[in-house]
Amino acid sequence: MAAANKAALAAGVHPGLRFTDARATLPDIASEEIDRESDRKALGALAAWMVRFSPLVAIDGDDGLLLEITGCDHLFGGEERMAGELSARLARAGYGHRIGIAGTVGAAWAMARAAAEEGRPALLSSGAERAGLATLPASALRISTAAETLLRRFGLTRIGQLYDIDRKALTRRFNSRQAADAVTLRLDQALGLRSEPFAPFRQPPDHSARISCPEPLTDTAGISAGLEKLIETLCRDLSADGLGAQSFLFQAFRSDGEVSAIRVNSARPARAPEHIMRLFGEKTSGIDPGFGIDLLLLEAFRTGTMAAGSRPLSGDLSGNDPDEEALAALADRINARLGEGAVTITLPQARHPVQVAEKTVPFGGQEMDGALPPGNLPGLRPARLFERPERVDVIAEVPDGPPLRFVWRRKVRRVVRADGPERISPEWWTYLPSQAGDKASLPRTRDYYRVEDEEGRRYWVYRDGLYGDGRGQTPEWFVQGLFA
Amino acid sequence: MDLATLISKGLVGPLTAPPPREAAFPYGLGRHGLHEIAETGYGDRAAITGFLLATAPRPSRRSILLWVTQASTARDMGRLPEAALREATGGQARRLGLVTRHAGDALWAVEEAVVSGAVSHVIAEVDAADFTATRRLTLASERHGVPVTLLLPHTCEGATAALTRWRISPQPSSPNRYDPRAPGHARWRAHLERCRPAPTLVGQAFDLEWNDETLSLDMVSGMAAGPSAPRQAPYPSGYTNRKAS
Repeated sequence: MAAANKAALAAGVHPGLRFTDARATLPDIASEEIDRESDRKALGALAAWMVRFSPLVAIDGDDGLLLEITGCDHLFGGEERMAGELSARLARAGYGHRIGIAGTVGAAWAMARAAAEEGRPALLSSGAERAGLATLPASALRISTAAETLLRRFGLTRIGQLYDIDRKALTRRFNSRQAADAVTLRLDQALGLRSEPFAPFRQPPDHSARISCPEPLTDTAGISAGLEKLIETLCRDLSADGLGAQSFLFQAFRSDGEVSAIRVNSARPARAPEHIMRLFGEKTSGIDPGFGIDLLLLEAFRTGTMAAGSRPLSGDLSGNDPDEEALAALADRINARLGEGAVTITLPQARHPVQVAEKTVPFGGQEMDGALPPGNLPGLRPARLFERPERVDVIAEVPDGPPLRFVWRRKVRRVVRADGPERISPEWWTYLPSQAGDKASLPRTRDYYRVEDEEGRRYWVYRDGLYGDGRGQTPEWFVQGLFA
Repeated sequence: MDLATLISKGLVGPLTAPPPREAAFPYGLGRHGLHEIAETGYGDRAAITGFLLATAPRPSRRSILLWVTQASTARDMGRLPEAALREATGGQARRLGLVTRHAGDALWAVEEAVVSGAVSHVIAEVDAADFTATRRLTLASERHGVPVTLLLPHTCEGATAALTRWRISPQPSSPNRYDPRAPGHARWRAHLERCRPAPTLVGQAFDLEWNDETLSLDMVSGMAAGPSAPRQAPYPSGYTNRKAS
């Protein structure tokens, strides 16, 4: 048994019981297989929704959520009102819940589990932990079952009873130092004597703006209008701090406990409202308002200083200088529609093998340099390079003549003129992935030829390996690209 | 009368705008407006890429190309490697690449780039572009002064709003001075199928040779072994065939 409802508990069935025992006690018990994966997912979704109450939300175990509400409660009219609102919303979404509010994580944990009941949150003001926790059972201290059993055997059932016991005496009663330390640590954390790290499940935003709607929004036009207002507010905040952000997250909270989120990214820190609005563009229509959206939240992540620079008065006066900002904005718009990383740049690498000589990376607003690599000889690289070389059947002179005839894409090409070979050796430090039972091996040396057929088409072909290089099969031929 | 009206009537234009008509080779290709370069047969992709690099104006150090490719073309015919691009432009080109699944997305990106004015030349490799699309891109390109070049497959036919449409076929390369058995400089035959700036030149064929060391494009006369008569080109709509009348 993992969990039991009120009726079951009243009948004497409690978690930890074996299922057969439970059925013996209560023959007509209704049961269901536990699905931890779905539970975790649901808890994650609920945590995402809790962001409307506080930007710092952590998932605690299988069934708990921690909210850091320092500085948030006054937005809802105090802790009590906030707890009330939280409770009402959870009830509306159909969740059973218990809420505890206290000055430390440990105390709040204890209050929620041992003192609160559904619809009746337990509040403990900061500094009153010692008195407030005294009457609660020791099991509310987040300690292991073994430790709890041990404490019960000593007659220590209330947290208050632990306060006055000498720590050394307490430690002596446990069979290991770790077990004793765990208990004292939890006690100290609950009382606020030792600090406890808080690990939020999502990174808190650097800047955010929110609009709560008294009347729930049900149409896309309203959402767009709200988003526009949020962007304006957020951009004003950002520009007051001299910052721009590279990532914006727009969340729409539905009154029934669902959240829709849209994220847009920018190659460079941005804070121009119209640019950000364009990035969101048509995506806002993907938000399902359901029974109404009552809170809109826009958050800015990855903030950075904006590149300061005077802009030309108009595009005509800027001469040949490309506007890096406009370029980044263009890339953002294309990425927003066609997917992150759609716009790329290709960078040459200081490596010889053709397939790794260039690397295509997403464009991130970086400076581009079109310089020629040193020692470049013209005419050696084709105008089109295939993604993967295509194997061709070839008639060629053995051992190292260029092809005389080959079949590429189902047509026979008769070679009239040829140039080569250009020998490209593999990098000795790069091995091929080893086949089953085989030793890892180096790629074979390639001999590249530029050949021209009767029609004037020019190809870049290569022989993968040399004759008599002791590498097994006869070398095969491939077409790697086409010359202009 | 406000500025927008003046601009729309052509009374006011940006200082850097090129003259509206160019009557010399290559008729504005890569300088202003929309142009099309098409393959003559399957597998001429390298030739049209080379022709584009050879005829488009040499990029300055600060200019940026946006190269949009439809995924089907990239899979079939590969891409222009950075090394070849830098060679052909004298180490000046800076390129943003984009691969899209559909032609529609590619053309959308082209228009977006033209309107933004952030790039100096937009090149798109798409399977097809109909008259409406080319008309739209022509207008955008002329309004914002960003040239657009479409690289089209050999199957492209029919009406276009582009200023020119070229059909390129590779020709046997020039004799190699150092090694007679090796290929020399690339040669192409460029066939002008459509030409709005100079309608009388439609049907003209140019034999061209591209020198990749000096980066110069030369006209060659009488290089082809076969008959040099240009093939009959379809006349653009509204243009009456004088021979027939």
